Amino acid sequence: MDESGRVRGDPVKLAALALLTLAAPAQEIYDIVLKGGHVVDAKNNRNAQMDIAIAGARIRKIATGIPAAHARRTVSVSGYYVTPGLIDIQAHVNAVGDAHSVNPDHNTLRHGVTTVVDAGSSGYKNFERFKTEVIDRSTTRVLAFVNIVDTGMPGAAIENDPAHMNAEATAAIAKKYPRQVVGIKTAHYQPANWEAVDRAIKAAALSNTVAMIDFHPKPGRGYRELILEHMRPGDIHTHVYGRLTPQLDANKKIEGHMLAARKRGVLFDVGHGSGSLWFRIAQPAVAQGFLPDTISTDMHKRSIMIPRATLTNVMSKFIAMGMTPEQVIERVTANAARAIRRTEIGSLEEGGTADIAVLELRAGKFAYLDSGHGKLTSDKELRAVMTIRNGKVVWDSEGLSLTDWEAAGPYSNFK
Amino acid sequence: MRLSLATLLLTALATAQPRYGILLKNGHVIDPANNIDAIRDIAISTNKIARVAVNIPAAQARKTIDATGLYVTPGLIDLHAHVFGYDGSLFPDDTALLAGTTTIVDAGGSGWRTFDAMLEKIIKPSQTRVLALINIVGHGMIGAKFEDDVNDMDSERTAAKIAQHRAHIVGIKTAHFGGHGWTAIDRAVAAGKIASVPVMVDDKIFTNTGRTSREKLLDKMRPGDIHTHMFNDRQLEVLNRFTGKVEPYMIEARRRGVLFDLGHGGGSFLWPVAAKALAQGFAPDTISTDLHSSSILIPGSDMPNCISKMMALGMTLVDAIARSTVAPAKAIKRYPELGTLTEGQTADIALFHLRTGTFSYHDAWQKKRLASKKLEAVMTIRDGKLVFDQEGRAYPEWTKAGEYEVIP
Repeated sequence: MDESGRVRGDPVKLAALALLTLAAPAQEIYDIVLKGGHVVDAKNNRNAQMDIAIAGARIRKIATGIPAAHARRTVSVSGYYVTPGLIDIQAHVNAVGDAHSVNPDHNTLRHGVTTVVDAGSSGYKNFERFKTEVIDRSTTRVLAFVNIVDTGMPGAAIENDPAHMNAEATAAIAKKYPRQVVGIKTAHYQPANWEAVDRAIKAAALSNTVAMIDFHPKPGRGYRELILEHMRPGDIHTHVYGRLTPQLDANKKIEGHMLAARKRGVLFDVGHGSGSLWFRIAQPAVAQGFLPDTISTDMHKRSIMIPRATLTNVMSKFIAMGMTPEQVIERVTANAARAIRRTEIGSLEEGGTADIAVLELRAGKFAYLDSGHGKLTSDKELRAVMTIRNGKVVWDSEGLSLTDWEAAGPYSNFK
Repeated sequence: MRLSLATLLLTALATAQPRYGILLKNGHVIDPANNIDAIRDIAISTNKIARVAVNIPAAQARKTIDATGLYVTPGLIDLHAHVFGYDGSLFPDDTALLAGTTTIVDAGGSGWRTFDAMLEKIIKPSQTRVLALINIVGHGMIGAKFEDDVNDMDSERTAAKIAQHRAHIVGIKTAHFGGHGWTAIDRAVAAGKIASVPVMVDDKIFTNTGRTSREKLLDKMRPGDIHTHMFNDRQLEVLNRFTGKVEPYMIEARRRGVLFDLGHGGGSFLWPVAAKALAQGFAPDTISTDLHSSSILIPGSDMPNCISKMMALGMTLVDAIARSTVAPAKAIKRYPELGTLTEGQTADIALFHLRTGTFSYHDAWQKKRLASKKLEAVMTIRDGKLVFDQEGRAYPEWTKAGEYEVIP
């Protein structure tokens, strides 16, 4: 296990490893071994060629040279990145209670996403239906920011009305469902006061969770005040490269308040969506080293069409703007998990749940659109070729893990 | 004719407006209904196909899109998909439009009791044209308890609902019937006769159902009725189990006018059946997906994939496009207004790359077959509007767009 030398000296991990070794049979048979991939696991400082062995729903071993003979199925993934299952912390997947939401599984698993966080498409009054009919029935791990608005995102009339924002009731639902609810969302609020932001932050404080803020500045309710005074360290401003908030000065330099807010621990999330990623803003910011803390899609019925806000596509856009694949992967795995305070996901751990993405960085001629339909051409594209969720292969575009039909012998549905 | 052209020209000059909205230039147009398989330009005016010709000047269009290297086809028609009622239903737009499909036919998700809800919740809010085969079961496709209940299979009420909504309902579906005998198929066909619409049949055959493929195809189904899931050997005995030959009653049924539909799905496309049938020239009349939550992932049953799979088994691209456009349009009696690029018809258009390389295609048993070609959707126009543009072909480089707002 310890060829990399990284675990050595960590007594907690060593103890856990010792326990595991005692519990496991001497020679374990693995269900799947992913061989020869380039493992990128920022949390554990892995960035090298390694094999990963899976048994049941769990990762059992991450090492070089795991023998193929010990696996029921060996899958060669050389030439691909192998990463923790991707985490999209800003999407809309309340397909039963929100008119703009999309279905999770085919819009997540096909893009390497094993955990999707719904960003406020339900509120305390309709979260439970969302849970029963979507969260509990999806293959993807679906988590939620509950909206401070009692029924989520039903339109301006209700979303602009503080009478529909009950911090205590919202906090209560977050506390009732701690496994699913990671925080509180506020969005779309237009009146020139702080009611929505402050109540969302209050609900987050009461439930000991994170607030995610979509912010529309108004006279007397400025962005600077939001990120320097109202938001707490660990709260997330989403749509960081949108048009509504001032990130750049007249000379396209990053504003001082952005740096000050980052210093005090405010997190900045992409939240691409239909209106919130503009190359004319993001490119200068990235060039100056003002990278997003997390990369997310704000995927919904419109943004998934033009400009194609799927997670691997949004990641490809940031690679096209000059970030490295490793930087981009970190922001949808380790960083995303830390932002939603779910550090048990977003990394590859022996003994941990086997949520894994296999990604291909293709060379060729590609082009991406932003929210303004500006085009960015690129010679690279990141796409998910294989997704493993809870130990099961749920997406495999190249058939890496599948048997050829002729080798499979005769088969029939007829019984 | 001359006069109206002159008037058009004058109007164009007077307002200094380009004559066309979108111009697709230099694409390889495949329009089987009009026998076109060549480089052509296509001009769109409002929501109609205005002109298909060689070299239409770019100056005549507000927006010219370079379609060089792409195949340009009528928007695909998916004759069998699930967007309502059924447990694994998906939304139409993010499944259809992103795959070059502009018309999706929901195959039995709703029945006469639930169609109105489908109309409000799915058909009206979707950009995709959603049509319906309504289920002979009044409650629609909501589980065995309902779908096996012959008391909820009412031919008259089903036909009456169709008469109310001819714009949206194109036929009847019977599916999943677990009971003995012919009641489900007979009532569906009876409703089809009253309403003058086709019936799509999904039907398990086991020894204990009292039904046989031969009787179903030769005595029960009418010319124009559609048997879906044709390569699922639990639904139809396409091949003789001992000789591997296509059964004579299959050929006889085709001669009678019974249609055979792919209906890929999560369980209904098997390489051993499809490969043998196609090798003997028994191809599907219509290519369709049976798209739902468990067929869209590893089996990959979207339209471009289903077409690619047919090509892997020897079908030509032009033939596969015909079976995904004009053939399904005719099957649901929507030809020529759907399934063609005829001037004057609604501008529903799909653009594709035909990639070469090594690609893996999977059947319902998750067995793979490698092939060297892949059809990949890159752009979709629905009702004259650009709704999907994977490569940003319709838009300028951001660095040349200044302090741009949303570029039209």
